[in-house]
Amino acid sequence: MALGSPSAFGMDLEAIRRAYARYAPIYDHTFSWMLARQGRRLAATTAAARARVILELGVGTGLTLPLYPADRRLVGIDISPDMLALAQRRARERKLGQVAGLSLMDAGNLAFCDASFDAVVAAYVMSVVPEPAAVLAEAARVCRPGGDIVLVNHFAGETVARRRIERALEPLADWLGWRPAFGFEELMAGSTLRLVERRPLAPFGLFTLVHLRKPA
Amino acid sequence: MSDAQSIDPKLLELLVCPLTKGPLRYDREREELVSEQARLAYPIRDGIPIMLVEEARSLDAGGGR
Repeated sequence: MALGSPSAFGMDLEAIRRAYARYAPIYDHTFSWMLARQGRRLAATTAAARARVILELGVGTGLTLPLYPADRRLVGIDISPDMLALAQRRARERKLGQVAGLSLMDAGNLAFCDASFDAVVAAYVMSVVPEPAAVLAEAARVCRPGGDIVLVNHFAGETVARRRIERALEPLADWLGWRPAFGFEELMAGSTLRLVERRPLAPFGLFTLVHLRKPA
Repeated sequence: MSDAQSIDPKLLELLVCPLTKGPLRYDREREELVSEQARLAYPIRDGIPIMLVEEARSLDAGGGR
């Protein structure tokens, strides 16, 4: 996918990069801290259970990196150079031996061979990419057969009240680098991945952990 | 994660050209990952490989060979 090409959702990678350039310096003190801690921890634990070599999509400032066991080999990618720079600083300062490396790439067009990883993690990522289904397909491609894919995401609300709020926020998606209304079924349509577990997370089940497995 | 300029061999082993999904050669001197098939060189900035076609250097344009 070309940078700057608008998608069906009206988001593009350039807008995402701009949004995260603004976010990067304050990110760790806002969104993540309040909402994402439990989700990141569970995602890392779930992915590491059966995996040695792990890919994290949208690694951001690297908040999840210290949560992986020290003997795993972790590769992190992100589209934002500003966020990656912070992830790299975190990995170096805290001497995180599990981090094999960080790379800037498009999650919808990964620069990895098929079946390269035992597990792929995407925590709080699917709502901020232009084509989530394409990202899931790439995650499945680079995951080995029998390997795990772990998503943590906000999926479109099942209640009318929540859907109404999400629709109201939709025009702000580009500015937020975030697309609020986004369905689980929409994401999974056409995927051959098997659902292992789907678990709502506190608070309020606003976010869901989705554990998928690639058929062996 | 190790020193500023060094790339972990594990990461190098896993990376391929995003365009051709073909192999890459690590050019230590220029800090680039070279895809001969695509005729592109992907820069490594501060130890982070930039695997975007848009940011790659063409091996054929302007005496880049």
